[in-house]
Amino acid sequence: MDTENIEQKVIEFIASKIEDVDASVINAASEFEELGLDSMDRVQLLFDAEEEFGVTFDDEEVKDFHCVKDIIDYINNHQPTE
Amino acid sequence: MHIVVTGMGVVSPIGSSIKQFWDAAISGKSGISSIQCFDTSKHRSKIAGQVNDFDPKTFLSTKQIEQTDRFTQFALHATHQAMKDAGNLEFYEPHRLGVSLGSGMGGYSTFESSAERKLQKRSIPPFTVPRTMANSAAAWIAAEYGLKGINLTYSTACSSAGNAIGMGLDLLRTGKADAVIAGGAEACVLPLTISGFEALFALSTGFNDNPHRASRPFSIGRDGFVMGEGAGILILEKEDTAQRRGAQIYARLAGYGCTCDAAHIVAPDVEGQVAAMEAAIQDAGITFDTIDYINAHATSTPLGDVVETQAIKRVLGKHATHVSISATKSLIGHTIGASAAIGSIAAIKSLQTGMIHPTINLDKADPECDLDYTPIKACKKTPHTALCNAFGFGGNNVSLVFTTP
Repeated sequence: MDTENIEQKVIEFIASKIEDVDASVINAASEFEELGLDSMDRVQLLFDAEEEFGVTFDDEEVKDFHCVKDIIDYINNHQPTE
Repeated sequence: MHIVVTGMGVVSPIGSSIKQFWDAAISGKSGISSIQCFDTSKHRSKIAGQVNDFDPKTFLSTKQIEQTDRFTQFALHATHQAMKDAGNLEFYEPHRLGVSLGSGMGGYSTFESSAERKLQKRSIPPFTVPRTMANSAAAWIAAEYGLKGINLTYSTACSSAGNAIGMGLDLLRTGKADAVIAGGAEACVLPLTISGFEALFALSTGFNDNPHRASRPFSIGRDGFVMGEGAGILILEKEDTAQRRGAQIYARLAGYGCTCDAAHIVAPDVEGQVAAMEAAIQDAGITFDTIDYINAHATSTPLGDVVETQAIKRVLGKHATHVSISATKSLIGHTIGASAAIGSIAAIKSLQTGMIHPTINLDKADPECDLDYTPIKACKKTPHTALCNAFGFGGNNVSLVFTTP
């Protein structure tokens, strides 16, 4: 999957997980907080993202995640080798 | 001081509204079917009383569904019905509104699926603990309705809801609350719980091809209980304030008795059951000969139904033959920690409507079970005083007395 594709897929995925938020208002720079996600919502989102994108987030690294781009970058850097 | 029931809600294998449930109960409909939610090919017991038409999306958001186990979802659905039925509980100050809930296994579905993931070395859902904990349902009920008073969960196996309702009565009598949402919820039609009860040889295994016939309390040929799932909720209040706020009153919750066998961890005991029934009768301030209906614990195990029959005869003497008895579990299976709440609802409906639901599959009674269990067909009677029994692993025995208002 190319980088741009992943960005779009992550945005669409996040939109599907948040009620009343459309993908069109989310971009890579969107902060979790501004999307209305509290700390428990974030861990749930990351858990669901692991399932969706076939990655396993490192617990120490995700502590610093604060925006959509953090997820996109992580997935891009941990793509399974073909 | 009288404590009354002013609202009811139910989720059960024969209906998820009081009307549906009661209509099906009176017509003797069985809610037992082949287990659909997992592969039973390696199980000896392949049937259960399942709530097949339950869709949490109809009343919970995606996020709420993600954060709740099935037992909590059942509890919330039954609570929604009961709160709507009771109406206007805003009459009370939020800190005076309590929750008293029972569950034998809590969020066991979540526990089981997360444990499976962990054993596969996969990450586990972050809401594993808050979904699994036994008080999850009570906490969600409080949060949904802003009930800021006492919030308790009782886990006494198959008698959990009996204790929850009984302790709700005590909370009101002792002035610790003005209204209590009381009942029980259970959702453990699951591979591990079925396997666990199979290992104890407690489940019916001889009726897998004929599920409707499997749950047959007091009957010849019964071979164990059938797992069920569901929830039952009662709204309890003091009679005078309930009248002041204009609430409908279905019944009085008049007495509560609870004892422990202090003996075997799973085998039933006549003495303990007798003591619980006598305690409830005494607590209600009535005499045993006024009881005209018993909603029996009656799980359809070979030993349990005989022991309960003996206990009823010990408590009521000759009057035992004049009492109508029925087994709700013949219709829906054993809903474990919810069973006493659903049985209580059946008892209250009998007081309200004058109809006793049947014990189905009772074509021929066990010679050792020789009372009037309302076999096959519902009967019309005018009961004024009902006893509801619930006996649980751990030797816990609970009896509740309901009377007409």
